[in-house]
Amino acid sequence: MESAQLYHVKQQFILGAYKTLIDMELPDKSSSDHIPMLLYKARASIALNDPQGALDLLPDDVDNVSVRAVAALAKYVAATETTEGDAALEELRDLAVEIEGEDVDGDERDKALVRVLAGTAFARAGEVEEALETLGTETEDLEAVAVIVQVYLSINRPDLAKKQFDRSKKWAEDDLLLQLIESSMGIVTGKDGYTNASAFYTEQLANPSLTSPHLLTARGIIRILRNETQEARSDLEEALERQKEDSEALAALTVVAGLGIHKKQEAEELWKRLTIEHPDHPLVIDVQRKNDVFDEVMSKYIVPPLAVA
Amino acid sequence: MAVMLTKFESKSNRVKGLAFHPTQPLLAAALHNGSVQLWNYRMGVLVDRFEEHEGPVRGVAIHPSRALLVTGGDDYKIKVWDIRPQNRRCLFTLHGHLDYVRTVQFHHEMPWILSASDDQTIRIWNSTSRNCIAILTGHSHYVMSAQFHPTQDLVVSASMDQTVRVWDISGLRKGSPNAGGPSGMGGGNSGPGNFETFDSFTTVKYVLEGHDRGVNFATFHPTLPLIISAADDRLIKLWRMSENRAYEVDSYRGHFNNVSSSLFHPKHELVVSCGEDKTVRVWDLGKRTVIQTFRRENDRFWVLAAHPNLNLFAAGHDSGLIVFKLERERPAFSVHQDTLYYVRDKYVRAFDFASGSDIGLLSVRKFGSPYMPPRTLSFNPAERAVLLTISSDNGLYELTMLPQQAQGELKDSSVDGKKGNGQSAIFVARNRSAVLNKTNQLIEVRDLSNTTVKTINAPVQTNEIFYGGTACLILSSPTSVVLYDIQQQKTIAEINSPPVKYVVWSADGQLVALMSKHTITVANRTFSQHSLIHETIRIKSGAWDDSGVFIYSTLNHVKYCLSQGDHGVICTLDNPVYLTRVKGRTIHCLDRSARPRTITFDPTEYRFKLALLRNNYEEMLYIIKTSTLMGQSIIAYLQQKGFPEIALHFVQDANTRFELALECGNLEVAMETAKAIDRPECWEKLAQQALKQGNHKVVEKAYQMTKNFDKLSFLYLATGSTDKLSKMQKIADARGDPMSRFHNALYAGDIEGRIAVLRDVGLYPLAYLTAKANELEELAAEILEAANLTEADIDDIPNIGRSTLKPPPIVTSTTNLNWPVAPTKENFFDKALVDGTLEGIEPSAYTNGDAGAGAASSALDAWAREEEIHEELINTEEGGWDLDADGGDFQSALDEEEHEVVDDELGAGASPGVSETDLWVRNSPLAVDHVAAGSFETAMQLLNRQFGVVNFALLKPLFLSIYRSSHVYISPVASLPPLQVHVRRNPSESAPSRVLPVAARTLQSIRAELTEGYRFVSGNKLSEAQETFRSVLHSLLLVVLSSDEEAKLWRDTVTTAREYLLGVSIELERRRVAEAEPDNTKRNLELAAYFTHCQLQPPHLQIALRSAIGAFSKANNQAHAARFARRLLDLNPDPKIAAQARQRIAAGDRNPRNAVDISYDEHTAFEVCAVSYTPIYKGSPSVRCPYADSVYLPQYQGMLDPLTQLTEIGAAASGLPAAW
Repeated sequence: MESAQLYHVKQQFILGAYKTLIDMELPDKSSSDHIPMLLYKARASIALNDPQGALDLLPDDVDNVSVRAVAALAKYVAATETTEGDAALEELRDLAVEIEGEDVDGDERDKALVRVLAGTAFARAGEVEEALETLGTETEDLEAVAVIVQVYLSINRPDLAKKQFDRSKKWAEDDLLLQLIESSMGIVTGKDGYTNASAFYTEQLANPSLTSPHLLTARGIIRILRNETQEARSDLEEALERQKEDSEALAALTVVAGLGIHKKQEAEELWKRLTIEHPDHPLVIDVQRKNDVFDEVMSKYIVPPLAVA
Repeated sequence: MAVMLTKFESKSNRVKGLAFHPTQPLLAAALHNGSVQLWNYRMGVLVDRFEEHEGPVRGVAIHPSRALLVTGGDDYKIKVWDIRPQNRRCLFTLHGHLDYVRTVQFHHEMPWILSASDDQTIRIWNSTSRNCIAILTGHSHYVMSAQFHPTQDLVVSASMDQTVRVWDISGLRKGSPNAGGPSGMGGGNSGPGNFETFDSFTTVKYVLEGHDRGVNFATFHPTLPLIISAADDRLIKLWRMSENRAYEVDSYRGHFNNVSSSLFHPKHELVVSCGEDKTVRVWDLGKRTVIQTFRRENDRFWVLAAHPNLNLFAAGHDSGLIVFKLERERPAFSVHQDTLYYVRDKYVRAFDFASGSDIGLLSVRKFGSPYMPPRTLSFNPAERAVLLTISSDNGLYELTMLPQQAQGELKDSSVDGKKGNGQSAIFVARNRSAVLNKTNQLIEVRDLSNTTVKTINAPVQTNEIFYGGTACLILSSPTSVVLYDIQQQKTIAEINSPPVKYVVWSADGQLVALMSKHTITVANRTFSQHSLIHETIRIKSGAWDDSGVFIYSTLNHVKYCLSQGDHGVICTLDNPVYLTRVKGRTIHCLDRSARPRTITFDPTEYRFKLALLRNNYEEMLYIIKTSTLMGQSIIAYLQQKGFPEIALHFVQDANTRFELALECGNLEVAMETAKAIDRPECWEKLAQQALKQGNHKVVEKAYQMTKNFDKLSFLYLATGSTDKLSKMQKIADARGDPMSRFHNALYAGDIEGRIAVLRDVGLYPLAYLTAKANELEELAAEILEAANLTEADIDDIPNIGRSTLKPPPIVTSTTNLNWPVAPTKENFFDKALVDGTLEGIEPSAYTNGDAGAGAASSALDAWAREEEIHEELINTEEGGWDLDADGGDFQSALDEEEHEVVDDELGAGASPGVSETDLWVRNSPLAVDHVAAGSFETAMQLLNRQFGVVNFALLKPLFLSIYRSSHVYISPVASLPPLQVHVRRNPSESAPSRVLPVAARTLQSIRAELTEGYRFVSGNKLSEAQETFRSVLHSLLLVVLSSDEEAKLWRDTVTTAREYLLGVSIELERRRVAEAEPDNTKRNLELAAYFTHCQLQPPHLQIALRSAIGAFSKANNQAHAARFARRLLDLNPDPKIAAQARQRIAAGDRNPRNAVDISYDEHTAFEVCAVSYTPIYKGSPSVRCPYADSVYLPQYQGMLDPLTQLTEIGAAASGLPAAW
């Protein structure tokens, strides 16, 4: 059982309150919570796309596998060259093998974390197979299940995701993360799933013990999915107000703007802002790709001369 | 405290004594006619009667921990009874009192019985030794009652001598000579003569004087040093004891006849009393005021009893007894998602099912009567408000906002609560509540500021209202329940039902349980379907399981009920609970003191039944495999419901298994079990069943086992098993049974054998004839010889022809074949259980996941099935929109994907599934949906085929913005690449064959843009207008249509936009001509004239006409100008303009000539070529734009349409596909 404080930190991490975690004061080094909380803090940095911040936090002189894994993930995320990235991936692969051995610096929880981080990195690298294998579809670590479920969802296999979810329901009780997993599945499958997800985020927004603009963004996105554009817009605008650099909220807001009546201008402005501020956002990349596709397909049609009198 | 709630009533002789059982719902009543009754007041049945006293019985008590009853009567006797049903009898009788015994009581821990008698004494008896161990003397008149102190060694007594006395009996405990046991006393021979000896062990501690008539009853407070007494002076007196003295504190005045009894309320600061004035009264202990009076017409009350733990009282009167409660115990509560909002001790609290946190939110102490808890609570999640009702003051309600967070000092509802009168009040919408006023039968709909916004006359006599789904109310009337639409103010449906008291909606709002005292009606949302469950026991509460099973509680059970009405018991209850939520194996409930509790239960039974009902074999199998205990009942259930083959899998008992196997015709199992049982009747039954099925091998085995040789032989004959028959012959030989030998020989066609048998048994004539008939002359002779006869002796025998008797030939060697049985039903269970392939079967989630997942998982489960249906859909649609090339692709894509589904179940690594965008592409023939899916190639193909679009460059921004707005990204898990989710058009749809992308642009929004174009026209910003109309036409290509009406509107919009675009273009051209070639008046006039022939709206047409009038009159074409003016007048313009027009007409009439000759024949219908801006008269050749349907001269065929700038003029196109 973790301490109340650690539990709280974990909760914040799960619900995407990364900013709060980064600003968090770590307990004394002697505290047993020090390392776990440090890890969450570092992972929050990585999640906010600041891997350097995470690397600065992590001590280099620790042998603990989970610390090393977080560092490796940070390096992977930070990597600009493929070689660096590959090296980091290799490191994670080694760690994943190492934890299978006898002589490991770290307990079961550390090992589970290593798998989660390795899985995350593999999934990022598009190595779905490897990610799933590393995480193990029989795992009883809920974080791993969360990653597995998202991986399944990303490859359009909500059926398999559901299996994982059903399986974990048996042992995970009604963990917050389990609810999050359920809501992620709901977001993809839709229908009642939207209601469920919406209720989950609404509920978490009402949770007095933490504030996370991510929750607002998520609810805004679900509201988009539920075709409640007005409400979605207000959620997303508020989220963006709280956290200006939130690319997800900005991207979602762009989407809503495109759905509104007569907001062409605004949609274009938001889109421009998104492309400038977050050129790496998958929406930007995807639309860019579609742009090229359009040109390519268009070229197949021969345009006759304009009829003139 | 407006109501005293009667829970039970009985009719009988006068009741003089009452006692509650401490744990069971039993009540003992001592009657004036000498009988002692034991009632189960919960079930309302008389459990037992004890009738040995002679004359009235006044005292009765039940032992606090053992099944013992003590009674004392006017026959001076005290009797102790064993009340266990199997053991009921009078255990012993205590003799000693010399007059009526008034009260008796067991001590709470010592084996003592206390009795008070008219002989002026109080006695204490040892129930083990059955001796009298103390006699308390001092009262100078009848002792009317004596009671032990609940904890201390004290006794309080009340007497006709007008005193109440408190006795110290601690001496008894220290070591009474007789307290030790029966030693030496030999059979309870405590004569009245020897009591002086232990008198010193008890002393009078206090004598309480104050009543001026005889005192009927006195008792201690359960915890405080208080005594309450009731007397014939019509007063109730409260006394306080201190260390060394006791004194009167107060009197309670109100009874107007003798007070028979008075008690402290075990939990609240209340006193309850009853008297010969035929009333039961409830008093405030501190204020000494009557809170409530309950009156009976004719019956004087004699005795009161309070339940030691529960909020229950009993009162005995002249003609029976009543059991009653002083307050409703059903806590007011409401469940929203994972939170229970409820009221305890007049505080609104929130209990979180998930975390178990339980916090107070709001005080409602000042709401209504302080003695009464609120009756109902309605919660409004949107506003975080509660609406409470209370029965006091003839019904009140109060609406209060809950504080966002629990503060130190709880807010009191009186601060900003909005109150009013009403018997029933609930939230009906986010910002609306409904309040029922029963007296005038009005339902007021109020807003959050408590202002009435609507008043409804109840269509039926309404006692209570409930939430009825969106904008609906459920009205409970005495004979029916009505679903009422608030908006339309009309009754939607009505179901006959006893008065409905509680209503519970399922989580998805599809089903509702309407609960009345003894029935539950489960109805759907519209009340169009419903089923009824009847319970003999009072129904208390209910909650929906996530899988659509209704769990409810009665007084003593928790039960479940399936939608088709099947119900059963989940567990028994000691005390009623109020179910709030059922989640998995846990039932959340509130107990009578409004404390949240949970009950863990095993949902296997109903899950199983549910699975059976839904033919969910995986789930059933999973349950069969995993659940350890399945009672006999489930087997009976299965058998009864016609599933013997399933039941078979549960049964271990060989006999039952055998019966079941026979019933479902499973010979294999039947055979196995028959072997295990090995009893003749089993084999016989098996043989019969096997015979029916034509399985002769099993028949054979069964006959063999029962040594049924005859039948066996015949079977062999029937199956043509000759070698077996010969074996049978040998057996028959061995058995020495001639009949059997003969049979077998006959069957086998063995003539020698037959003759041998006949000879052996001495039937020589038959043997001889047989031999003769079969031309066995030698043998015949031999027989003849053996019979000591010669040929001559038998020459009178007629000549016998050759016998034709022989075994039938074997056509089919049936021996080796069993009769073909209709292909055995592919039994899912057999297969799975035999193969042990359970691994492959996914238990459908936890406990109630079955259908909780139901909705969600059915979508997923339906995945595979819908895939098939899907195929057809596509095929039919393809025909419609002629997409041969793509069609093939789809098909193969589909095939591939099906393979994948098969493969991936095996490994951990999964292959990708069908993406939503692919589904979109498959599901829609509309280009816009393909654009949203990012399938630009197919989108362009569609646009090209449907509308002849060739120039896509202009559509690029539209394509990209639509695509952009159809997908969002979300990152639920840190550092993973975000999930791309797809925005659907209809969020309530998730079936893969029906999902479609969101409509980025709606027809409405485009029409709004069109209006903007109109404004540009009016504002004479023609080039902007031209842009706008063109853009409208572009947008209209990529809009979602969903009905014929919309399609029509779309077509109208396209036409309108085209006409405007054409008109504006003509006018722009005219202006260009006017500028560039000022001398070309002819062209100028022509264009002005054509402009007026565009289908514009009247205001815009006026502009066109006026501009034409101006141009023509300037050019001195008065006749034309006049005609335009007439057309203008037809449009009813502004008076000023009309006046000008009339002038023009007058001028035209004066001078009906045209100075410039132009190509304009207004009398023949024409359309204007959108390139050359020349008229194309009706009947002349023309080509058209495949999309906007604008007209061109034939020479422009194959060129790019200048209006939309998208399409190829004259291209073939299929037009708008009907996608709905």
